[in-house]
Amino acid sequence: MKFFKKIHRIFKLHRIFIKQDLKKLMEYKIDFLTGAAGMLLTQAFNLFFLSIIFSQIPDLKGWKFEEILFIYGFALLPKAIDHLFFDNLWAIGYFIIRKGDFDKYLTRPVSPLFAVTVEKFQVDAFGELVVGIALLCVSIPRLKLDFSPLNIALFIAAVFFATFIYTGVKLITSSIAFWTKRSGNIIYMFYMVNDFARYPTTIYNRFIRSVITFIIPFAFTAFYPASYFIRGGNALINVGGTVIAAAVLTAIGMLVWHRGVCAYESAGS
Amino acid sequence: MIHVQNLKKEFKKTVKEPGLKGSIKSFFKPKNEIITAVDDISFDVSAGEILGFIGPNGAGKSTVIKMLTGILTPTSGSCEINGKIPYKNRKSYVKEIGVVFGQRTQLWWDLALRETYTVLKEIYEVDDESFKKRMAFLNEVLELESFITSPVRTLSLGQRMRADIAASLLHSPKVLFLDEPTIGLDVVVKDNIRQAIKSINENEKTTVILTTHDLQDVENLCDRIVMIDKGKKVFDGGIDLLKQSYGQSRELRFVPVAVSDADKLNYGREFSLGESDLRVENDGHTVSVRFNNDKVSVEKILSYTLKTLHVKDISVTDADIEEIIKGIYKSGVSPDA
Repeated sequence: MKFFKKIHRIFKLHRIFIKQDLKKLMEYKIDFLTGAAGMLLTQAFNLFFLSIIFSQIPDLKGWKFEEILFIYGFALLPKAIDHLFFDNLWAIGYFIIRKGDFDKYLTRPVSPLFAVTVEKFQVDAFGELVVGIALLCVSIPRLKLDFSPLNIALFIAAVFFATFIYTGVKLITSSIAFWTKRSGNIIYMFYMVNDFARYPTTIYNRFIRSVITFIIPFAFTAFYPASYFIRGGNALINVGGTVIAAAVLTAIGMLVWHRGVCAYESAGS
Repeated sequence: MIHVQNLKKEFKKTVKEPGLKGSIKSFFKPKNEIITAVDDISFDVSAGEILGFIGPNGAGKSTVIKMLTGILTPTSGSCEINGKIPYKNRKSYVKEIGVVFGQRTQLWWDLALRETYTVLKEIYEVDDESFKKRMAFLNEVLELESFITSPVRTLSLGQRMRADIAASLLHSPKVLFLDEPTIGLDVVVKDNIRQAIKSINENEKTTVILTTHDLQDVENLCDRIVMIDKGKKVFDGGIDLLKQSYGQSRELRFVPVAVSDADKLNYGREFSLGESDLRVENDGHTVSVRFNNDKVSVEKILSYTLKTLHVKDISVTDADIEEIIKGIYKSGVSPDA
């Protein structure tokens, strides 16, 4: 009962802040439109180059264009959801801690991590979400993929847990700022590794492959689960790996975060 | 109510040599130094009391407040408020306190002020009925009416401060921490804020801890003051004791038209003031006269000065807190007096 009350409260607060964020959009229309257009353009350019590459070569280490599109589209979903709900972690790394603005989150009767993340609902993420869904809609019929109820459930689970791989990586790297005061560039460096994950890991050499599988496991946000839906295989490894990677990263993230909060030094005033 | 025992906070600071070269050197070979911001401070505050927490810039006031509000974890020592340890029982503890940092805002920059309160209402789980009553009350004491629909970013400093104080009181806290609530405000707003603090303290028996550089705040509000300097407690006692020590001291500053005229003045003889009640300094341009306001009135000093010579500029001010601290050191009031 207590658990449900807690969930209810989380949803309620999210709803309130989303409402406020949408109001904010109306206040700063031009900024929002530019941001959303920018996101769409970025994805459009990426896809454009991908199609140029595939107009020259028939396949990529045995992966067809449609398959790549599916993986690419799948990759965008968890990325977009993380972007939508946990974007404020970037601000932790860049300025919230450095300027001492973290103080106010500590004086509120909610967990500071929740207080920070709930504050920003990053609508720019809808650009990625729209492109991701569009790519899936295009590639699924072409690949004649058949989604059984089990696979639909696995698909949802994979997207859900893959989101927390992104969030976990951001949580660990942004928490470093509690000690170093600023970790924005560290977040950026690790976050950008996700670019590798949109393509079949088989095209990379062993070093990069093991990095994106075991160290910064972004391969589990896209290629591994997506390839299961395309070509089948062992769900326990492909989707289960995503669950394990998400659980491990989130757990480490929470630990580092909590340690960080205790080490927080505020700023002079 | 509040029990602080041997509280201590140390920060590690990287010492850098000046310039870019120094920065680069420290990047590769950092030299650390331990800074003790708060050094072994103990005091108690009883329920319903207004405690003034004063000291010069960098004395460690804010650091103490931050430890009492659960923002910082003490290096050693303990503090307990209402039986709770701030940094351990943080979530349930902060429901019972209100915090305002005058230099910062906890309001949402882009939202209309009214929205800020509805968001805080949900965060603090205030029910609709109490919220309505509370807003009406806060509206009355802090006069929010005229700007409650404006976005926070458009508020003036005075409005923002009132809004921030209202935000900290929304959930009817038992203890209110105010870190420089009157900083940078004009006299009218300062007075308004003091009245509000007073009426909240009287109506709801809210315990208030406030830091300030404004002696007027202390005189109007505080029952007791704790003074710290360089992280150490140097004074703890009633406001009367402080006034006796130095509070009545005023300073007259003026620029004579002809510097040599200043020699004509002899305050000591005119008002028969002893050495402890009078100090005159002349730097060849400005003359400053510090005198005991109990022994001689500002009016008398002023009229005597203006009768004796011509001045280009003249002003009378309260002795500032740093002076008082120096005075307390000199007069040897023991810390636990």
